[in-house]
Amino acid sequence: MRESNVRTIGLVLTVAYAVFIAWLYVRQPQTVAEMTGALSATVGAYSIDEGAFADGLRFFRGDQFDAARLAFERADPAHQDSRTQFYIAYSFYRQGWGRLYSDDALFTRGLEAVDRAVAVAPQGRVAVDDPDLQLRSADELKAELQAGLRRDASDLNPLKIFRQRK
Amino acid sequence: MNRTREAFVLPLLFLTVALLGGVRVADRLVLLPPPLFTLVLAFLLVGVLVRSGALAPERLMSAARSPIANVSGAVVIVTAFVAATQAFNVAIPESGLPRLLFSVFLLVLLVNTLAASPDRVRVLRSVLVIFGSAFILKFIVLAALSDPAGGWLKRVLLAMLEGLTLGTLSQDLYQPVTGYIAFVTLTLFVGSLALLPSRTRRALEPRADPLRGELDR
Repeated sequence: MRESNVRTIGLVLTVAYAVFIAWLYVRQPQTVAEMTGALSATVGAYSIDEGAFADGLRFFRGDQFDAARLAFERADPAHQDSRTQFYIAYSFYRQGWGRLYSDDALFTRGLEAVDRAVAVAPQGRVAVDDPDLQLRSADELKAELQAGLRRDASDLNPLKIFRQRK
Repeated sequence: MNRTREAFVLPLLFLTVALLGGVRVADRLVLLPPPLFTLVLAFLLVGVLVRSGALAPERLMSAARSPIANVSGAVVIVTAFVAATQAFNVAIPESGLPRLLFSVFLLVLLVNTLAASPDRVRVLRSVLVIFGSAFILKFIVLAALSDPAGGWLKRVLLAMLEGLTLGTLSQDLYQPVTGYIAFVTLTLFVGSLALLPSRTRRALEPRADPLRGELDR
C-alpha cells in the first residue's frame, strides 16, 4: 500500500477515536445501553419501546409507581427520551408527595430524572400534553420538586394539609 | 521509523491511555478529565523526553518529509502529550493533602530530571520509577488508608503514622477494578514512550565546529 494511503487511514482512525473519547468524557454514559443509545440518539436513530412505555403509563395512572418506573426504564434504557424521563420524574413526585411532608430521597431522584429529561430535550424544553397531569412541563415539575425539598417557614403552615397532589 | 507504528500504533496506544486514564469505578463509572496542573506536568515530561533523545521531533516533523507525513508526526506528538496528561491524572490522588504533595513532588522531580539531562534509557527508567511509585502510593497505600473496613496494611500504616489524623489523607474509595485499569494504563503509557522515535547516536554526537579547522590551521 502507498505510504500516503497508510498515513491517511491512520489519521482518519485516530481522529475518529479521539472524537469518540471526547464524546465519552462529555456524555459520561454509565452502561453499555446508555452508550449505544446516546450514540444512536446523536445520529437521530434512537427510539423507545412503545409497548413498555404504554405499560409504564398504565401503571403510572394506577399509582403503581415502582412498576411504572420499571416499565419506563425498559422503554428507555439509554435515558435519551425526554418524555419517558419526564414521566419517571413525575412518578417520583407523586410517590414522594405527602400531605404533611414529602419524601426527600424520592424528590431528589425526581429532580435527577427531570434534569435528564431537560438535558436530552431539543432546546431543553419538555412539554407533555397529558390531561391526567397538572404539571405539564419540566419547568413546573422541577419547581414543584425543588419546593418540596426546600426548608422554610411555610413548612409549619397547618393549612398545608389541605393542599392537593398535582 | 516504521510508518505503521507512526500512523497507527503510537496514536492509538496514546489515545487508549487518554481514554483509560480518567476511568474511576465507584458506585458508578466516572470519566475524570485531567486537572489543569497535569497539563504542566505533561509539558515538562515531553520536554524531558525531547531533551534526553527519547523523543526526536525531527524524525516526526521536518522539511524533508511530505506534508501528510508531517501531519502524521504531529499527531504522534499531540497524542503523546494528551496521554501524558492522563497518565498524571491516574498517578495523582484526587483530593486533599496527598494531591498537593504528589503534584509538588512530581513537579520537582521533572524539573530536576530536565536539569540533569540524562540519556534516553535513564529517562525511561526514571519515568517507570515515577509512575510505579505513584501507583503504589495511590492505589495501595492511600487506598488502604481510605478503606473504612481496613485490613492488615491499614493497621500497619496507622501504627507507623501514629498521631497523624487521616482526615487529610483519606481519598474517595474506588472499586478494585480502578486499580487494575490504572496499572494497565500506566504500563501502556510507559511502553508507548519506549516505542517513540528516538534520536540516533549520530545525532547525539557533538557537531563538528566549522571554525575549528580554521583555528587549528
